[in-house]
Amino acid sequence: MENNSIDAERNTSPTPVSVNAITNAKVKKKNKRNSQWAWYIFLLPSFLGIILFMAYPVIESLRLSFYKSNGTIETFTGLDNFRNVLTSRPFWNSVWNTFFIGIFQVIITIPLGFIFATLINSVTRGKNFFKVIYFLPNVTSIVAAAMIFQFVFHPEMGIVNFVLDTFGFPTPGWFSDPSTSKWGIILLAVWHWIGFVIIICLANLQAIPTEMYEAAKIDGASGIQQWLFITIPNMTGTFAFLLITGWIGALQRFNEVYVIGGPNGSPARSIQTMGAFIYERGFTGFEFGIASAATYVMFIIILIFTFINLKVSKIKI
Amino acid sequence: MNNSISMKKSERITSTIKFLFLLIFGIVLMMPFIWMVSVGFDREANISMPFPPRLIPESISSFNYGIVFENGRLLQSYINSGIVTVSSVILGVSSSLLAGYAFSKGKFKGKKILFLIVLCTLMIPMEPRLIPLYKLFNSVGLLNTFWPLILPHLISGMLIFLCKQFFDQLPDTLREAAQIDGAGEFKIFFRVYLPLAGPIAATMVILAFIWSWNDFLWPLVVLNNLDLHTVPLYLASFSLENGSSLGGLTMALATVSILPIIIVYLFLQRYIIQSIALSGVKGE
Repeated sequence: MENNSIDAERNTSPTPVSVNAITNAKVKKKNKRNSQWAWYIFLLPSFLGIILFMAYPVIESLRLSFYKSNGTIETFTGLDNFRNVLTSRPFWNSVWNTFFIGIFQVIITIPLGFIFATLINSVTRGKNFFKVIYFLPNVTSIVAAAMIFQFVFHPEMGIVNFVLDTFGFPTPGWFSDPSTSKWGIILLAVWHWIGFVIIICLANLQAIPTEMYEAAKIDGASGIQQWLFITIPNMTGTFAFLLITGWIGALQRFNEVYVIGGPNGSPARSIQTMGAFIYERGFTGFEFGIASAATYVMFIIILIFTFINLKVSKIKI
Repeated sequence: MNNSISMKKSERITSTIKFLFLLIFGIVLMMPFIWMVSVGFDREANISMPFPPRLIPESISSFNYGIVFENGRLLQSYINSGIVTVSSVILGVSSSLLAGYAFSKGKFKGKKILFLIVLCTLMIPMEPRLIPLYKLFNSVGLLNTFWPLILPHLISGMLIFLCKQFFDQLPDTLREAAQIDGAGEFKIFFRVYLPLAGPIAATMVILAFIWSWNDFLWPLVVLNNLDLHTVPLYLASFSLENGSSLGGLTMALATVSILPIIIVYLFLQRYIIQSIALSGVKGE
């Protein structure tokens, strides 16, 4: 483009090149300043959002965590809220529940989803049909799913216990028994998340170059050998990604435990997650200070795992 | 010769086994849905669920569906969810298109830092913002309106990021050509780049729609008024009220609330699956 304009100048006015160049530069500079303004206007809506709905609340929440507050009256109490939260048994119970459900959700769903993804990928007919079917649970809202699963896991009338009973297995109380309720939530989470894992795995399976498999076939590698030595090593990045997104999502679990167990995660707080603890304290008890301190503890836990995420994915690159 | 035939045969057998396995497990995954529809049509399922479970009800009736529609709450919550979701999508997608374009094609001071700030918002969950946002909307008297559900969608780090990546793939030469013609930045965006952004805009609409439609915790905090409840809120309040009684009614309600989403999904499945795979974000 620059060359063009210089050529044009040479053609029309061969003598006062330098003067022209100076005015040209001035015009350009002015244009540049104008256009700089324009860019900030492009960013204005989003940054208005960031200031109002991201930065301000995060800072205000930190401030609140040092106050005793019910929404109207505030008194400074220093680290009391944090002490309160960190020594509270219900809080650590909610951390335990969140971690327990999350860990099993992730370590069950990722291998299972990966196996299904490789099966779907290798099947000659009905590939798209299976993709659609397996992803269907993920499309339904977890609230509606939780509503259905209350009946699916009903101790006396549910289909799960009916099937278990028919095959002679013991029938657990699921959501009515604190010792099994977490497993009900885990199975619901597996059911709901597996479609997502399959879709991500499939997308990445199809990105593995086919030449690798062809070369292995020539060397006489069996299907299972190919799977073990080509597919799995090529998928480690995907597994890391799923592990982290799944885990961060699991730390924020709230919707399904609220629908099934209410804000206190009944039976006996056995399914109260960190999110539910915050909701219970903040919006049924209106203890804003304690709830804010708890959100900060939770926020820090999430941040730690996000940074581990960045580290892990860096290693992969 | 013989060998290759037998190999083909065994290949066909394993392929059939795989197919059957996928089919059976697929049916297991679909079982809650199948059972949901069946119980919803069962006239006797409200006092106590029919046991042993049956696929085809003894007396098929639309009684439960009749009640769900007569009650009108579900319809109202659909309208509410519709208003909230459409407004949120329009707001979020337009602001993210503008910002994503600026971060891709713009040359201005502080671009790197500003983009880093956008990426940082990806790490901030809803929970630490819950109480201050509640107080903020309370102080301006907007609790129990749709505004608190819509306005925060103004910023979406993920949408900006996806949008920037898309515009990065479009050549700068388009800009330069338009600049020579004397077009300003806004004109260039609206006339040249926006018309090319169809694919990414569709992805953004799908994602923003899923996020907003399934929003639960924040609406639960801001909306106490039953008349304003969105679909997930209405379902949750119904479920908490009735626990695991009124099975037939609950299942009919669940069916009616899920079905439209499933139909939309079946029509748009290719695009929805692509969008989810692209963003890698949980569709929740």
